[in-house]
Amino acid sequence: MPEYRGPGPTPIKLDVNGESRLLLAEPRRTLLDALRYDLGLTGAKKVCDRGDCGACTVLVEGVAEYACLTLAVACECKHVETIEGGGADVEALQQAFLAHDAYQCGFCTPGQIMALAALLRRDGQAGEEQVKTAVAGNLCRCGAYPNIVTAGVAASRAKTSAKAK
Amino acid sequence: MKSFSYAKVATAEEAAGLLKQRNTRLIAGGTDLLGLMKERLIEPDRLVDVNGIAQLRGITATKENFRVGALTTLAELAAHQATPLIIKEALADAATPQLRNMATVGGNLVQRNRCWYFRSAEHRCWLKGGPRCLAVDGDNRYHAIYGEGECRQVTPSDLAPALIALDATVVMRTDEGEDSLPLAQLYVAPTARHRREHAVGDDDLILAVRIGGDALRRHATYLKFMERATWQFAVVSVAASARLVEGRAQDVRIVAGAVANIPWRVKAAEDLLAGEKIDDARALAVAERFVRDARPLRDNAYKVAVLRELVRRAVLRLKD
Amino acid sequence: MPSARVVKNRTEFEGKIYEELALVQGADIPAWSADAELRHVGRSRLRVDGPQRVSGRARYTTDLMLPGMLHARVVRSPHPHARVIRVDAKRALALAGVRSVVDRTSAPELFDEEVHYVGAPVAVVVGETEEIAADAAHLVEIEYESLPFVVDLEEAIADRTRVQRKESYSRGDARRGFREADIVVDARYTTSTQLHNCLEPHGAVAQWDGERLTLWESTQAMFDVRKGVAKAIRARLDDVRVICDYMGGGFGSKLGHGHYSEIAAVLAKRLGRPIRCVMDRREENLVTGNRSATVQRVRVGATKDGKLTALEHVAWSGTGTEDGWVASTTGPSNGLYEVANVRSEQFLVLTNTGPFSAFRAPGYVEGTFALESAMDELADKLALDPLALRRKNYAKLDPQSGKHYSLKRLDQCYSRGAELAGWSRRKAGGTAGRHAYLRRGMGVSTQVWGGGGGPPAYATIHLNADGTAIVRAGLQDIGSGTKTAIAQIAAEELSLPLERVRLSIGETDAPYGPASGGSMTTASLGPAVRLAAVDVRRQLLEVAAGLMEVRASEIHLTDGHAVAGRGGKKLALDEVFSKLQNYTVIGRGSRHPNPEDVRLRSFGAHFAEVEVDIRTGAVRVLKIVAVHQIGRIVNPLNAKSQVEGGVTQALGYAVSEGRVLDRLSGHVMNANLEDYKIPTVKDVPDIVVEFVPDLDRRANNLGGIGLGEPPIIPTAAAIANAVANACGARVRTLPITPARVLEALRR
Ligand SMILES: Cc1cc2nc3c(=O)[nH]c(=O)nc-3n(C[C@H](O)[C@H](O)[C@H](O)COP(=O)(O)OP(=O)(O)OC[C@H]3O[C@@H](n4cnc5c(N)ncnc54)[C@H](O)[C@@H]3O)c2cc1C
Ligand code: SF4
Ligand code: FES
Ligand code: FES
Repeated sequence: MPEYRGPGPTPIKLDVNGESRLLLAEPRRTLLDALRYDLGLTGAKKVCDRGDCGACTVLVEGVAEYACLTLAVACECKHVETIEGGGADVEALQQAFLAHDAYQCGFCTPGQIMALAALLRRDGQAGEEQVKTAVAGNLCRCGAYPNIVTAGVAASRAKTSAKAK
Repeated sequence: MKSFSYAKVATAEEAAGLLKQRNTRLIAGGTDLLGLMKERLIEPDRLVDVNGIAQLRGITATKENFRVGALTTLAELAAHQATPLIIKEALADAATPQLRNMATVGGNLVQRNRCWYFRSAEHRCWLKGGPRCLAVDGDNRYHAIYGEGECRQVTPSDLAPALIALDATVVMRTDEGEDSLPLAQLYVAPTARHRREHAVGDDDLILAVRIGGDALRRHATYLKFMERATWQFAVVSVAASARLVEGRAQDVRIVAGAVANIPWRVKAAEDLLAGEKIDDARALAVAERFVRDARPLRDNAYKVAVLRELVRRAVLRLKD
Repeated sequence: MPSARVVKNRTEFEGKIYEELALVQGADIPAWSADAELRHVGRSRLRVDGPQRVSGRARYTTDLMLPGMLHARVVRSPHPHARVIRVDAKRALALAGVRSVVDRTSAPELFDEEVHYVGAPVAVVVGETEEIAADAAHLVEIEYESLPFVVDLEEAIADRTRVQRKESYSRGDARRGFREADIVVDARYTTSTQLHNCLEPHGAVAQWDGERLTLWESTQAMFDVRKGVAKAIRARLDDVRVICDYMGGGFGSKLGHGHYSEIAAVLAKRLGRPIRCVMDRREENLVTGNRSATVQRVRVGATKDGKLTALEHVAWSGTGTEDGWVASTTGPSNGLYEVANVRSEQFLVLTNTGPFSAFRAPGYVEGTFALESAMDELADKLALDPLALRRKNYAKLDPQSGKHYSLKRLDQCYSRGAELAGWSRRKAGGTAGRHAYLRRGMGVSTQVWGGGGGPPAYATIHLNADGTAIVRAGLQDIGSGTKTAIAQIAAEELSLPLERVRLSIGETDAPYGPASGGSMTTASLGPAVRLAAVDVRRQLLEVAAGLMEVRASEIHLTDGHAVAGRGGKKLALDEVFSKLQNYTVIGRGSRHPNPEDVRLRSFGAHFAEVEVDIRTGAVRVLKIVAVHQIGRIVNPLNAKSQVEGGVTQALGYAVSEGRVLDRLSGHVMNANLEDYKIPTVKDVPDIVVEFVPDLDRRANNLGGIGLGEPPIIPTAAAIANAVANACGARVRTLPITPARVLEALRR
């Protein structure tokens, strides 16, 4: 029979940005809180804490998910990537975000970039519509949307042309 | 969120065993469950994580049978090449990309409603055991325009109407093995004794959803109305399907979402279309019939107009 | 050293004019001329703090994790009006990890006996983790005696005790003006409460070192936070240091300190550990401010040929429990058009809802919606082109003061905007869309705002021997690109590459700087920075002159070199620095007062194109053309982003945002980002941005004023006018939801 863990703190082993990290937390700790409080990775932001905004977007097994609606304990044995982890796609997006002024206050930015990183990894060449869909769950109150779309498309183009070479 | 114990299971049997315990909940994608727990609307002592049950994953598709495991995510379902178009349409604007990556089919069908009185920890409304519905005299712009009974919340799922339009069945686990029933039967209007939006118990396990070959060959379409371009639960949605025999509609299903506390069908409207050629006049007549018995609340008369138009457009789209 | 003197200055802040004394040093210099060859100012530059913001490395207040830090969670009233009878914290205190629970008896400075809105603070729980604090908050038992309440604005307006007249204005004789009118439009407009929902929540982290408090706070106004907190906790001003390095949006809601600041400060002292008090999303929507809902009555009278004869605007703004100030909703009516007879009144209306606060162009957004909608209703009645009607009543002089403007190019905004929008395609009654049920239409609306900035604002620049200049100023960058603009201005005068200019900002130990609000940050601080740079340059030239053995007056700086005379000697600045070795040149600058004889205002025009589904009432905004005049644009790239952002917030205000109150319980039903619907990426239309190139050389030594707020002002009316043009549905209530469009179509 499977065993229960918790409700008190339990050791949780996470694979974050390619590093194995061990933390002690209750099963109720969300992946977002684990990243921010236990691992000091504050790039993913807590804005709504209920799946409404996308600021906490990280990649789990290469797929964009909301860390606020994910339990840390459920992520054991899964590969988690945050903005701090970098990588070719993330860096290309960061460059594009800088070049196209795709952020203002920057609070939504890590989430936007991670949502787009998942897109770039999945679909080689993404056009405007795919980019918009990829960040449809990432709210930006500063209204940097037009530039976010431009940056997403530019990063995707840069990737495909780099591949072509 | 109150603290809880957590266990991962590998088989349906293990899950079923653990779920018999008091105040224990199954967690799949967690997108609805954790939302409810954070708001402290439910406070389970134990969570059973079913994500390790291989049997609940994957899609099998033949000409005659389309079976989706309950743990299939909305994104996986939307991406599968054999998935009927109507389902893809329904999923295109369901929630957000990240949520579609997390949310499972099983969870989507039994998610709780989005009535803002229900979702507020500080309102004890009828559905939560309180004396009366707070929406009837409160702000009910998104509430039901059909149906009787105390509770006027509406079905939130985009998937359910689309699946019902294809006569989908759900496969549930029983102690003897599997049992299937029409998906539509899962949804029952809450009663004083059963204050729930559906008939799935906390210890029930949905294994899969199945669509039969006849339905797979039907023309079908899904339309969703939102007040912003994306990321909103349906204000009104309509799923329609029909078989076209020499240009005439047969086996008509028109299922509206977000208009009543169960997915809503109007038999008389479907009958108006059965055996007929689809044209503008017919589509309008069907739409008019569909909304004839709507009884909007104070703030939501507009939903009747929207529904009428969505039914009309959905019927017309069945032609193509 | 230049001598200091005290001056009187008039500054327009958030739609109101303030007269203040300020201290300035030295003399001002004229603005760069139009043909000055500038290398940084006026050119698009990437944000200097971009790498931090896009990498997740930028530390916002919410990201601060201090060793030993505790978490404070506020227990809030579920009642819109009640007396707190008893707070029982026994069960909460018994929970492991709970460090303290305070309420009115134990911390009278933090709580009131009576609560006046849902969400008002009643107690605070401090725990080792966020989860523990939240658990404990649920265990605090509070007994209330509930009292009568009103949350609905219309209901409150009917109750005289809740209404206060705050402003009234008149010129000419409105009554006579209406008698002279051939046509009068008399309409009532209402707008919803808009919630800021800046993504970074409000919050503070407090840490004491003896008598000295360090407060990290997400704020637009560090110095005001310092003042407010020092007063609240009875500390000396110099014992409070406020830090705000990166900031995740404020939009006016972070102009003063919050209750959370006091909580963090007070409890950190009591418990001897750092305290973090950060709001969650629900609290953001309940207690951190909002744009007032309004009820407005606008009457406009005109002759048959469209000359306005009278304008009357009465506005009631629901300020929640805020009974000090109210935004100037009638401001646009008082000052936009040339009309001899004007009368306006501004009322504040108290309701049992969370207090309002400034929200990007407070008052003017609401008031412009009403005024510019009414102008279109008038144009309709007169069968005049809406743009022609506006042109006909164009004010060449400021109608309120009779003064000239330092710059007014609204006419160019109109004509350029019309061109970009294809206004000539507009037809009375709209045009057909792809289907019979889709109608297209166009609308225009006008923006007027202040944003001239003014003193006090100071900066110092340290030019070090390593060749970097450090600008030190009491400034916070809330996402508007202020840091970059400041660096550009300094680099310009110092003839340095942008990377060589560093900023030391974000804390109150720096020279005093203005709030990041009122569109006045760059216009206030920029000129001071420029003067500080000029001061450095002067000293640097003296040093270079010494080294080159020429007179300082004979050399100038170009391209990183000191150059003597015409084609004479050249000395690289780097060489100057290396010769000096350990040396710092310190320059100082202060903001000088605004000119007295002219009025500083920015202008703009927005053109909207929409498609309306007349069967479902859905409105799709296809395009917004935004043309603005603010004089010099320091950074065109950031300026364009600013406009797109303002338009997007206005779009939400126009079609989807609005607080929903339950009249029976007094609760906000959509205090989350699910039901409170801000625009998504897919809602944003094609936004075309342009600026009138003319400089505002009278305004200040930069030649330009602020842009933060103007772009949110006119959009809603442009959209409403476009909807009316498309299908005849005049929606006088914001947001323009499908339900309201359908209702207007039925009328
Ligand atoms: C912000 C937001 C926006 C959304 N927008 C939409 C939308 O536009 N359209 C839409 O259709 N939905 C929408 N949803 C709902 C979302 O699709 C559901 O939350 C999701 O599908 C639930 O699946 P899950 O796997 O996450 O379920 P969980 O949260 O894990 O579970 C939900 C419930 O289902 C039960 N359950 C799960 N799997 C099974 C099973 N196999 N057998 C028996 N019981 C089971 C759980 O016990 C629990 O009670 C939205 C949700 C959020 C949070
Ligand atoms: S509609 Fe149902 S869920 Fe909503 S308040 Fe009424 S009873 Fe509660
Ligand atoms: S914080 Fe996770 S979606 Fe908003
Ligand atoms: S940049 Fe501020 S919220 Fe997106």
